[in-house]
Amino acid sequence: MIIEPVLIIGLLLLMPLLAAGLLLVIRGNGGRKVVVVGFGVLIMLGTILLAVGYLVGDPWQGSFHYPLIDYCLLAIDVVIGLYILAKSIKYKKLLAGALAVAQMAGILAFEFLIAPGVSIASDLYIDGLSVIMALIIGIIGSGICIYALGYMKDHECHAREDDPTCKDRRPIFFALMFLFLAAMFAIVFFNNLAWLFCAWEITTVCSFALIGYTRTDEAIANSFRQIVMNQLGGLAFVIALILLGLQGILELDVVISHGNLGLLGLPIILLAFAGMTKAAQVPFQSWLLGAMVAPTPTSALLHSSTMVKAGVFMVIKLAPALGWNANGIAVMLIGGFTFLFCSAIAISQPNAKRVLAYSTVANLGLIVACAGVGTPEAVWAAIFLLIFHAVAKSLLFLCVGTAEHNIGSRDIEEMDNLFIRMPKLAMLMALGILTMFIAPFGMLISKWATIVSLVETGNAVLLIILAFGSAVTFMFWAKWLGKMLAVAGSQSNVETAVHRSEWSTIGLMAVLVIGLSVGFPFVSEMVVVPYLACIWNVTGLDVISFDNLLIMAIIVLAVVLSFLVFVWRSKKRTAPIYLSGVGLDFEERTYLNSLSQETKASQRNWYMDGWFSEQSMTPLANTCCIAVLVFGMTLSLLSLGGWSL
Amino acid sequence: MTILTFIIALVAFTVLAPFIGGLIAGTDRIISARLQGRVGPPLLQPFYDVQKLFAKDDSVTHSFQGFYVFLSLVFTVLAGAFFFAGGNFLLVIFILMLATLFFIVAAYSTRSPFAEIGAEREIVQVMSYEPMVILMAVTFFMGTGVLSGEATFNVGAVFSLEQPLIVALPFVFLGLFFILTIKLRKSPFDLSFSHHAHQELVKGISTEMTGRTLGLVEIIHWYETVLFLGWIGLFLVWGSWIGVVVALVGMAVIYLIEILIDNNFARVKWQFMLISSWVVTLVCVVLNMVFIQVVF
Repeated sequence: MIIEPVLIIGLLLLMPLLAAGLLLVIRGNGGRKVVVVGFGVLIMLGTILLAVGYLVGDPWQGSFHYPLIDYCLLAIDVVIGLYILAKSIKYKKLLAGALAVAQMAGILAFEFLIAPGVSIASDLYIDGLSVIMALIIGIIGSGICIYALGYMKDHECHAREDDPTCKDRRPIFFALMFLFLAAMFAIVFFNNLAWLFCAWEITTVCSFALIGYTRTDEAIANSFRQIVMNQLGGLAFVIALILLGLQGILELDVVISHGNLGLLGLPIILLAFAGMTKAAQVPFQSWLLGAMVAPTPTSALLHSSTMVKAGVFMVIKLAPALGWNANGIAVMLIGGFTFLFCSAIAISQPNAKRVLAYSTVANLGLIVACAGVGTPEAVWAAIFLLIFHAVAKSLLFLCVGTAEHNIGSRDIEEMDNLFIRMPKLAMLMALGILTMFIAPFGMLISKWATIVSLVETGNAVLLIILAFGSAVTFMFWAKWLGKMLAVAGSQSNVETAVHRSEWSTIGLMAVLVIGLSVGFPFVSEMVVVPYLACIWNVTGLDVISFDNLLIMAIIVLAVVLSFLVFVWRSKKRTAPIYLSGVGLDFEERTYLNSLSQETKASQRNWYMDGWFSEQSMTPLANTCCIAVLVFGMTLSLLSLGGWSL
Repeated sequence: MTILTFIIALVAFTVLAPFIGGLIAGTDRIISARLQGRVGPPLLQPFYDVQKLFAKDDSVTHSFQGFYVFLSLVFTVLAGAFFFAGGNFLLVIFILMLATLFFIVAAYSTRSPFAEIGAEREIVQVMSYEPMVILMAVTFFMGTGVLSGEATFNVGAVFSLEQPLIVALPFVFLGLFFILTIKLRKSPFDLSFSHHAHQELVKGISTEMTGRTLGLVEIIHWYETVLFLGWIGLFLVWGSWIGVVVALVGMAVIYLIEILIDNNFARVKWQFMLISSWVVTLVCVVLNMVFIQVVF
């Protein structure tokens, strides 16, 4: 069943908007549950319907041009600007306000002076990549909204314990979540850059509001950090719009098809810059780390399926125009450095959510680097990194969030023995971790493809960065995994308090992770390769041979099944561990030492603070990336004057 | 690599590698003993040891422990089989990484303080040698490219070369030799798992393993030894029977040097291991890439 493309795009945009509107009005728990679950499932079905029609095949583009839409979107741009201005005056954040004014001035000048002279043939665009993105947004994004039902209930209870008078702000929270999804769909489907900019700004302002949701001083400070950094990206976007408008091009697909020619060089790097700020690449990583103060569903949404994915989506879109030119080199180096440094910093983090945040930034860096390389092989890798990162990271965030509510901490040290306390959750969390860093699971296969694409283009610098980055990645994931899988004693199972809505989403993510890892060769063969063939005009793309992919898929199946069929109660005799003395309590690890005194053995994980601390690595990372950025921008500016590399 | 060659390699590696590995271990112990002025055990002592371990009362701290070690064995064997079947080098490396991870998790899962320290040290060891291992595969691709004109990750390609790979990759070979000491768990880099039980924090990663489980760990080590020597051979062999002889002699020489190093250096701290192997990796790989550009 194939539905008119305009209709399905309209549905996917309007459903979340309608849900957001309803959620703003409905204040009861029951009603909210019905709306969130109902619309969540509808959006999932909608994206699947879209996939049935357009996952494979030639790109579709169409016009949907009514002046009213332009005015509405312009009005939204202005309202967003005014909202940020008002907030920045209220909290006395001058920089955010100034940027908002600059952005408003730019977009008004663009809309009234430049845009009317440019004719646009196609406003909407669908291809394989947009459908993959839509599936990620629709399935994972809606899943996270459903998960949030249970989570926010606990969150609200905790908040009320601290302050009984506080107002239930869940309606605005859920409305923002759904608005976010609508804006993401818009980013994916809009080809008209002026429209895309509006959706871009909606995601920025939504995450601003979501990060500041708890209204603590820290949350407000971090939300402003987010808005300032993303406004810089937004400003770059506006300048790109103006530059492109002056050349009479305002469609993304046309920009890309022209490639990196003279006058387009600067707008392309500006758009890539906007994408990289949203994807929290160094030196803009701090906004995503700050976003951790928000409730876990927000972090999960920002990290896995939306916001940062909009950033990398933009950069992947631009990939055909990148490659061995100044822009491409700048983008791939920023991505590469981000991957290396952020992976290294993750070693020193004991806070589970911060580890996830650094790993997100690092993996996005890898995606950006692949896009910068700009060959079909590299983009193959980038797309799979995007897919697996989205599912595995949302699984991990949701697991950490649930663990936090039940064991009362997000510190990895506190997850000691989680395998006994929350066995099912620990298993799923382990699955998420395995997917992130080890073969035969998805992320590592994508990394393998990255290596292949880099070696084929002779990119020695990135290869070395990748090798070292992978090694440090092993370090921080393996020690977390080990800590969590420790088995000792018979502490009570505290898993019973987990909400059903949380289980259903976590379960869905786990099924997706396993399904995609097993189905990897087929997804490649049937979806990604045809997409690349169509965009790059290449045939017989063979990054990793189908046989090798199949071997990995079989191993995934074998590992998962062996865990499932493993007999828990083997007949082996169990013996207590060795504790340098007479063991007293093996759960607490206390023993009688040689002086008959009770001693407790304690063991913390290794964080190597002296080597990979945030304080020492961050300036280094920032310096490297800013230098590369300045280099890229300068060359592009020079190319405006006809000078080229 | 066809399915048939894979099955032959799998069977051959599964059956033969433990014998070869065990004999190497026996020889190692005799030579080490002579270096220390002792007579040393009989050549077959490693087999007697494992036989005894299997005869012991089979106890674990919990049932998952043995399961993880078993998985580690399975994936080590699989990695070896893919290697000797001439399969993709990166595939071999990644499967081996999975095997290592299960071994680490087996130690962590006991929640013994000593085993945990061992497991953490093992992770640091992985972090130390992994860049070299990945870059070895990468430069293997480049090396086959410049020597035969057809770059490939397939290990089997060395048998169609006219010269051994070391001609194109001399510095990478040195780098591999450096990290081989870590992979073979030889002093000065035997941080996680010393062969001498009384020395390093009881017995590091294998503290809580006894009986059959410890026997499996020994057997994993034999498989690994053969696989890693295969990596050395990969650089020395070419498409003639002389190449095979040269490779075998080269493997023996390298292993002898490893024994000498093992007996002559005291265990270092992890900082030195990490920094030295990273610096060696970086220098060797960069030098070799320049070398390929200049010479070929």
